[in-house]
Amino acid sequence: MNEDKFNIMLSGVGGQGLMLLSETIGRACSEMDKKVITGEQHGLSQRSGSIYVHLRIGEDAHSPLIPYGEADLMVSLEGMEALRNIEYLKPDGHIISSNRLVHHPIETNKVVEEEVEEYITIEDIVEKLEEVTENIYMLDSLSLAKEAGNPRTENVVLLGAVTSIPNFPLERDVLKEVVKETVPEKTIDVNLKAFELGYEEGSKNR
Amino acid sequence: MAVQDIIDPKSKKTFMIGNQAIARGVLESDVKVTAFFPGSPTNEILDTLYILSGEFEDLKMEVSANEKVALETAAGAAMAGVRGFTSMKSVGLNVASDTFFTLGYTGVNAGLVLLIADDPHAHSSQSEQDGRYYAEAAHVPMLEPSSAQEAYEAVKYAFELSEKYEVLSLIRTTTRVNHQSSNVEIDELDRTTSEKKSWKDVHKKFYTLGAKARKLKENSLNKLENIQEDFEESSLNRVIEGEGTTGIITSGVSFLHVQEALQVLDLDMPVLKLGTTYPLPENTIMDFVDGLEQVIVVEELMPYLEDRITQLAKGSELEIRGKRSGDFGMVGEYDVPRIVNGISSILEIDSPKDYDKFVKKAEELKEILPKRTPIFCAGCPHRATLWALQQAIKDKDYVFNNDIGCYSMFLLEPYEITDSLLCMGSSLGLSSGMQHVLDEKVIAMIGDSTLFHAGLPGLVNAVHNQHDLTLIVLDNSVTAMTGQQPNPGSDFGPDEVTEIDIESVVKSLNVEKVKKINSFQPQDNVDDIVEMIEYQGVSVIISEGPCALYHDRLKRKQGEPIIPNRVDDDTCRSIYKCVRNFYCPAIELNMDSSHTEIKKDLCDGCMVCAKLCPINAIESTGGEKDE
Ligand SMILES: Cc1ncc(C[n+]2csc(CCOP(=O)(O)OP(=O)(O)O)c2C)c(N)n1
Repeated sequence: MNEDKFNIMLSGVGGQGLMLLSETIGRACSEMDKKVITGEQHGLSQRSGSIYVHLRIGEDAHSPLIPYGEADLMVSLEGMEALRNIEYLKPDGHIISSNRLVHHPIETNKVVEEEVEEYITIEDIVEKLEEVTENIYMLDSLSLAKEAGNPRTENVVLLGAVTSIPNFPLERDVLKEVVKETVPEKTIDVNLKAFELGYEEGSKNR
Repeated sequence: MAVQDIIDPKSKKTFMIGNQAIARGVLESDVKVTAFFPGSPTNEILDTLYILSGEFEDLKMEVSANEKVALETAAGAAMAGVRGFTSMKSVGLNVASDTFFTLGYTGVNAGLVLLIADDPHAHSSQSEQDGRYYAEAAHVPMLEPSSAQEAYEAVKYAFELSEKYEVLSLIRTTTRVNHQSSNVEIDELDRTTSEKKSWKDVHKKFYTLGAKARKLKENSLNKLENIQEDFEESSLNRVIEGEGTTGIITSGVSFLHVQEALQVLDLDMPVLKLGTTYPLPENTIMDFVDGLEQVIVVEELMPYLEDRITQLAKGSELEIRGKRSGDFGMVGEYDVPRIVNGISSILEIDSPKDYDKFVKKAEELKEILPKRTPIFCAGCPHRATLWALQQAIKDKDYVFNNDIGCYSMFLLEPYEITDSLLCMGSSLGLSSGMQHVLDEKVIAMIGDSTLFHAGLPGLVNAVHNQHDLTLIVLDNSVTAMTGQQPNPGSDFGPDEVTEIDIESVVKSLNVEKVKKINSFQPQDNVDDIVEMIEYQGVSVIISEGPCALYHDRLKRKQGEPIIPNRVDDDTCRSIYKCVRNFYCPAIELNMDSSHTEIKKDLCDGCMVCAKLCPINAIESTGGEKDE
């Protein structure tokens, strides 16, 4: 049975701009007349908490939530958050994540109190992720965002990288156009550059 | 941007979150007066209409002091002859329920719609309250949409229904409908202009008492019979044809999960999707079960539909499976795996997917992950006040009654200081009861919004009855946790507002001991807090400092820079006063130097960590954040 369904699990830390990712992908679906549905986490408005969006594309995706083990793609703006949602990823699904780790004050306190020796590392995370899939692309999204001209475009770097996935169901140009319409006018150029850099970096891994 | 779509006069296909689709429905319904008190998962309805009220002169939007006032504001407008709308979170209706029940008797004049959003899984609520029982209890009709598109349409239909029968219409959603973005097809937007009305044109009174109450109740019950007839014909209830002698009855977001679960199970059974869940379309249900041997009821939270369907089918051979039969739980939210597993066990077939395998494996893999519990933002005034409070009560015996707001996080790791927290305003009443009984000092803590919402009667009561308690008011200028909306103490709103000064209010209540402190001076505040706690009688501390998210946004809007701090590497001696008991997300350790480091992108320059550092190793960068 060939199902029309492409599931993307988006995750990150509050304040990183995750909603822009789901907003742009969703709008691009709408432009391309594709059915799309999301299950988003809003609520507590504090920064620095874990956040996620289940994003599902295709006629056969009805529920706003991805069933466990069925995400084709995981996009994470922060390394630990990719692992935090790993139950949703398909075996051998794709992970595109920032290699950046945002440490929580409780973790920092544990290091200070010597309850743990040091912070968790991206290598620790990747080792665990590799037990589910080999298709892991950890991007230095911060450097790429800075290269694009604004460290706050990390999310768009990731978005560009996503379009390098072989079976990604949306056209890159449509997505790019939506980015243009969605971001503040002054920042269009930096954002498009971030998008391109992300795409190039993602393509290198193919 | 989505707001452009919401105000677009043209009919079109869009991508919107449920709450924005609801706001568009409100606009298209030509609603004139809207009033809200924030609460997740409805915040984006309020936030959207806040923005829109600036675009449409004839649209009044107000942030009310609480849900009861919000419902009354919308109802008053509907009595006077224009359409009114409000929405609130599940527990909001508990606050508004007194008004709600009586509106069920009096009815309305122009349309009045109330949307309540339940929160299965208690994602951001203190309970998993099932609001569906409210409809029957108040004799008002209820609609239950499944998707963003349906939520938008439900608003428009609810107004037609409200005006046809002169009743309040209730719409009940859940988090996964409000926070679901999807393709939404919207109609044209064509609003009428509004002029002042005359009460002389309203040929109706809105009160109820004694004999009149009995007559009105009868009347409401009769209306429901007619409404039920309408519902029997309504396209909101539909059958998805299938085969076999087992069928499914479902409603709300569960319908979406069910559709996909049946795909996974490769089953083609008939499904009745209910969109009007009070009064139930009884004939539609009986027609559907006719010829079936077994029906599976799929609904989140309590067995509301299941019990009613069981009652309807009494005397027949029909087997009803759901929560009462133990196949589905009453706790938490549903998803496709839960429904696939439930149906498989009912039909005694093997589930085609082993979902548990993924969860178990993930649990193992995640053992290394540090927690990321919600924590106060960098620059949050509460963090500083709570630091001082912790020092002040360290060697004291006390009971600590917390309340609802960002400061509720005081009960979570790493603080875990809270003895009670029930609902908005509960800190005061509970403290009053406890001080009659306990030996220890009773401390209550409340935010500005919560004080205005439901705290003031408790404070009045404590003063009048000469209780012995200390109240700490955390005045951060906004209702922070729900998205920094204004409250009566704020100096801004969708229209011009009058700012209500908490200190003057408290003093006017004859509180003997009142002290205002600056949240961002934690060391100075310790002694003040101790003094207030040691006072016999009602003492009130007002800790003032703006919410960091709100304040940062304000600064950005006014073009003011947000200037972060830095740690001077030569001075830092890894004493960690800026880490212990402080827990700021902008402070991390540099593992090479073992010194602390400040993340410029997060730091808001509140300077509190600098004040806590005994050797002055932290200072302002003095410059702008690198953009
Ligand atoms: C009856 C009710 N209405 C709304 C809410 C949603 N709610 C949760 S926290 C909160 C904010 C309270 O604001 P405030 O007391 O000023 O505290 P802050 O978040 O600003 O620290 C609200 C409105 C609720 N829990 N109960």
